[in-house]
Amino acid sequence: MELSDWELVQKCQSGDMSAFQELVSRHHQKVYMVILGLLRNREDALEVSQETFLRAYRKIGGFKGGSSFYTWIYRIGVNLAIDAQRRQKRNPLEFRDSMDSVLESQDEVARDPFAELHDRELRENLLKAINDLTAEHKAVIVLRTIEGLSYKDIGAILGCSEGTVMSRLHYARKKLHDKLRSFL
Amino acid sequence: MNECERIENSIGPWLDHELNAAESEVVGAHVTACSRCSDARQRLEKIDRALSSVLVDEAPKIEFASFWRELKQQIEQKRPWRKRLLEQAGDWASAPRAAWAVPALIAVLIAVLSYQSYFPIWRSRNNFATVESIDSYGRNVALLREDGSKTTVIWLYQNQEGDDEAAEETPPAGPAF
Repeated sequence: MELSDWELVQKCQSGDMSAFQELVSRHHQKVYMVILGLLRNREDALEVSQETFLRAYRKIGGFKGGSSFYTWIYRIGVNLAIDAQRRQKRNPLEFRDSMDSVLESQDEVARDPFAELHDRELRENLLKAINDLTAEHKAVIVLRTIEGLSYKDIGAILGCSEGTVMSRLHYARKKLHDKLRSFL
Repeated sequence: MNECERIENSIGPWLDHELNAAESEVVGAHVTACSRCSDARQRLEKIDRALSSVLVDEAPKIEFASFWRELKQQIEQKRPWRKRLLEQAGDWASAPRAAWAVPALIAVLIAVLSYQSYFPIWRSRNNFATVESIDSYGRNVALLREDGSKTTVIWLYQNQEGDDEAAEETPPAGPAF
C-alpha cells in the first residue's frame, strides 16, 4: 500500500532517507514546473528546485503537518523563485537569452506551419505578458494553471487570503487579456 | 456597474469552481443567455488553454535519477558555518514573528526617545549659571537658574578693585548698580 505524504514525512523525520527520496520523486516535476513558470529559465529553475528540496530536507524536522506537504514545499519553492526572479529582473540580458531558449524549444513541437506562426506569436506575446506581471500575480497564475490549486491552497502557499488570491487572479487575467487582445 | 460587468468579474472564479452553488447558478445562467459574457468566457478559456500549453504541456520533463543524485550530493555536503548562519538569518527575517518585531521595535524606540515624558525622574537637570561682563568697568551680570525649584536669580555686581584688569581704570561717575 502506498504511504501518504504525511506518513513519508514522519518516516523522514526519524531519519529515513528513502522516504525523502520518495517525496522528491512524487513532487519534483510539479515543483520544477511551477518554478520554471515563474523564472522562464531552465537552468535557474532546476537549481531553485534542488534548493527547494534541500531546504525542505533541512527543515523537515520542524514540519508539523499543519498543512499538506505539497503546500509546504510549494511555499518554499515559490519564495525562493520570487527571490531569484527579483535577482533576474536586475539582469535583463540574461533573461532575454532564457526567453529565446524557451521559444526555440517550443518551435520543435509545432506541426502545422500556419498554426505554428499563430501559436508562436501567441506564445511569444503570452510569455512577454506573463513576464510583465508582478511576482505575486505571476505566482497565482502559475499555481492555478499548473497545479489547478484551489484559491484556499494558493492563499496558504503565498500567505494571503482567498479574497486576495481571487483579486490577484482577476487582475492577472485581465492584464493578459489586454495584452493578447489581438489573438483572442 | 451594470449586470454584465459584474458577471464578467465572476467568470474567472466561476470557471475555477470557486463560487458557491447559488452564485454559480446565477453566473452560469447569465453567461448562457448573454452573448457578450459568453464571448468573455471564451476569451478567458482561450487564455487558460494558452497558459496551460506554455506552462504545462511544453515544460521539459526532468529525469528523476539525475535530479536526486545531485540533490543527495548537496544534502551530504557539509555546509560552511557562514552559509548556515545566513540561512538562519533569512528564516528569521521571513518568519511571521518578524512582523511583530517591527512594531515592537518602533514602540521601544518611541519609548526610549521620549523617556523624559514617561519617566520624569530620569529627566536630566538643566541647571544653568553664567557670568557676563557688561562693560569694561568691572560691572557684571550673573544668571543662575536652578531647574528643580524653577528659581532664576539675576545678580548684578561690580568687581572690587584688583579683581581684574578693568579695575585698574577709574570708573566713570554716575550711579552704580
